Amino acid sequence: MKTSRNAWQSKAVLLLLALVLWGYVAGPMVSTFEQSVRGIGGGIAQYADFFNFRTGAQGASMAGSVFISILSVITSGITGVFLAVLLKRWEFPLRKVCQVLVLVPIALPPLMGVEAFVLLYGIGGTFPQLLASLFHTKQARFAVDGVAGVLLVHTLTMYPYFYLTVAAALEQSDDSLEEAAYSLGASKFETWTRVLLPMLTPAVVAGALLTFMSSMSSYTAPLLFHVDTVMTQQIVIAKLNGQLGLASVVSVMLAIISVIFLIILRGYERRARYSTQSKGGGRKRTQVTSPAWKFICVLAATGSTIFLILPIAMIFILAFSVNGSWRAAPLPSRYTIENFVSLFTNPRSWEAITNSLEMSAIAVGGATLLGLVSAYVIARMRFRGKAAIDIVMMLPWALPGTVVAINLITSFANPSIFALGTVLVGTFMIVPLAYFVRFSPLVFRSTAASLAQLDVGIEEAARSLGAGWWYAFRRVVLPLLYRGIAAGALLAFVDGVGEFVATVLLYTPQHRPLSIAINDELYFANYGTAASLGVIQVLLVLIVLTVMSWVQGRENTPASIRL
Amino acid sequence: MTALTLEALTKTFPRAGKVVDAIDLQIRDGEFFTLLGPSGCGKSTTLRMIAGFEEPTGGRILFDQVDVTHQPPNQRNIGFVFQNYALFPHLTVAKNIAFGLEVRKLPSSEIAAQVASALKDLQLAGLDDSRVDQLSGGQQQRVALARALVIRPKLLLLDEPLSNLDAKLREETRAALRVLHTSTGVTTIYVTHDQSEAMAISNRIAVLNKGKVHQVGPPEDIYERPATRFVADFIGRNNVLDATIESVSSESISIRFVDGTEISIDPQRRAAGVQIKPGTRLGVCLRAESLHLARDDGAFSGVVKDVEYTGSVRSCLVETKVGKLQVEIPSSAGRPSPGDKVRLSVIPTAVHLVPPT
Repeated sequence: MKTSRNAWQSKAVLLLLALVLWGYVAGPMVSTFEQSVRGIGGGIAQYADFFNFRTGAQGASMAGSVFISILSVITSGITGVFLAVLLKRWEFPLRKVCQVLVLVPIALPPLMGVEAFVLLYGIGGTFPQLLASLFHTKQARFAVDGVAGVLLVHTLTMYPYFYLTVAAALEQSDDSLEEAAYSLGASKFETWTRVLLPMLTPAVVAGALLTFMSSMSSYTAPLLFHVDTVMTQQIVIAKLNGQLGLASVVSVMLAIISVIFLIILRGYERRARYSTQSKGGGRKRTQVTSPAWKFICVLAATGSTIFLILPIAMIFILAFSVNGSWRAAPLPSRYTIENFVSLFTNPRSWEAITNSLEMSAIAVGGATLLGLVSAYVIARMRFRGKAAIDIVMMLPWALPGTVVAINLITSFANPSIFALGTVLVGTFMIVPLAYFVRFSPLVFRSTAASLAQLDVGIEEAARSLGAGWWYAFRRVVLPLLYRGIAAGALLAFVDGVGEFVATVLLYTPQHRPLSIAINDELYFANYGTAASLGVIQVLLVLIVLTVMSWVQGRENTPASIRL
Repeated sequence: MTALTLEALTKTFPRAGKVVDAIDLQIRDGEFFTLLGPSGCGKSTTLRMIAGFEEPTGGRILFDQVDVTHQPPNQRNIGFVFQNYALFPHLTVAKNIAFGLEVRKLPSSEIAAQVASALKDLQLAGLDDSRVDQLSGGQQQRVALARALVIRPKLLLLDEPLSNLDAKLREETRAALRVLHTSTGVTTIYVTHDQSEAMAISNRIAVLNKGKVHQVGPPEDIYERPATRFVADFIGRNNVLDATIESVSSESISIRFVDGTEISIDPQRRAAGVQIKPGTRLGVCLRAESLHLARDDGAFSGVVKDVEYTGSVRSCLVETKVGKLQVEIPSSAGRPSPGDKVRLSVIPTAVHLVPPT
């Protein structure tokens, strides 16, 4: 496709792309590294401390993060695979309802969602109170705190990584494979252990890698369940103590771990995918006939489903509670709709909502452009350094939000040419910039996936019919890609509106976004107000998911966002 | 109308190496020309360079003496039909066909008229507003053809356009393509790996292998007088045997096969590279239909191993000392069965000689 006549135009686009990626992604990471060596509390000696697991503060935090992440992989894995097999392979009453409801936790808002766990299972929460009054003992005995609390949150928020990948694998798996195994004399058990479960391995490994990465990045759960010995907490604590150098050291280590996992994940995705050649058609489910089994299936499915959707239910209940009406009881005592009225009448709440919408919209505008251009360039052009662009583009997706924030602080605390010579830290724009960096990979990924489906011949056909490059792009490529672009952009927008982890390090009090407003309300124990803001986030996610499945058409919706 | 010249056209890919190796071709105005070869021979890459989708590594492409080697595809005015048709899935049938006319900014009334006549010419009338994914394979194929022809291209380029159709439809479309070519007169370049398709449809054929042209000529030449051993092997059911010239007399020569069998043949039918003198090694082509089964006379003796009945003929595989030979006999000429001991006689005038490699 590339002809010598427009070679300079391609070069210009590549140069611009490289500049943007350097200025906002790779460069800031490098400046964090510089800061880690020269800044306050930094230095090479701090790096050595990481390998001192017993007595070193850094070594302990790394060990803590890895420990929690491994446990999270195990608990989320068991939950996700169990649910997927149960709901996709067997047919029993209430199965369809459960299948829809188990995905509701995807709509759990980042900060308020974790707080809902605390209010359900933490000290003074609903369940400890209930159990205490049942057994006439102190509620603190039943309260979940520390690592157990973090694990609880991780399990119930990260099981979709396993559930979605395994469910998709089970749906695509071909009946004839199973029949082939039976015909060759395999028993039911052998068919499962030697054919079906090995076929799920790629899905399970992908789920495990994603869970491990998310768990290493997790900030809110350790914060709310009082676990300090994880790397994300150490970064924020060091930053708040004014030791930017130390914060940078931990950030660099965390970034290295994330990048290693990103590379493993990408290598794995490319190698291990079992594709079956069947022509689709619905997988048939095994009808559960024995009454005892039926009972167990229904109980397991409904039980776990209720458990999974409790946090969201809790947010909705709290949203109607009167602030300050919850004292030493399982639930608040008085209810009102005042919280929702005040979202619109109280300027502080309303401002937070509009701030978040504005910041997210700015970020998504930039992310869409960057994601589209980079996906197109990587898919359609031949040039050296393509792999580097691909990796740098996906880097912020692997980086914890905390690290992205530190990167922006180390590189935009001074005038920068990438900020037109101004200082961005302490201004409105630093937050949208963080969202832009964090969520560009979402648009990139979903656009790249659509592009991969798009036959190059379609573009060549347009060119052979006399269309110039731009005409072909506008009239043929864009109309065929817009679903993928829209899916990525909408996801990015939703994530931006709820973002807390990077925001908490970057926001300025004059421009509080939604998550910070929630955080402030929680500080004053105004659960009603905080939860009503959380409900807004949940509704936004649900609206976007609905719009998306409407835009996409049922068949084209990627499994990861299908409700 | 347009003639096409390729001069030392070369394409090198970083990994695959030289896929097209200094190809020279002259394609005449109004000709139906086929690039024929096995997969990986460079035929599609050549076609894509003519279209401008691939930049040649070396050589020149001329449309009527005008150098277009570095022109982008949208300025070449070509019609291209893709193997998978590459119809625009977001546009209707009529909009697909109108695409090239809209690019050329024709008035909309003109576009409507031309699209309507193209739909009629290709038996697509009434399908104007259909989505392309609702069409059958044959209909999609005709939409792709209509879309390519409606812009009145200088060249019509077809990249294995029939390979996604079932056998019966393939033959019908083949005939339709020939009719279409006669009525439009557009210079057409057709890429295929199917030799019977190439023979049935083309004015001339270029046989390619490993990026090089082995022979250019009308179908009869390619079939009856292959220029190289590759062409002899590739076209038709041909037995190509290694042999040496034993003696030369005024009107016939005697050749000896590896097992010592000698036959005497007419040396007129031979490729340009074959020298007629004693001791020359060569490849002897015995077409399956030029061998006959006989009970007791004939050059080779052997045993029938397999018989395939296809209606008009029986294809037999006969094991002889020179190797397994394919023999095709009319169905009416007997019923050989596996295990029969037979002798094979050769029609001397049907033997063709090619260089040994």
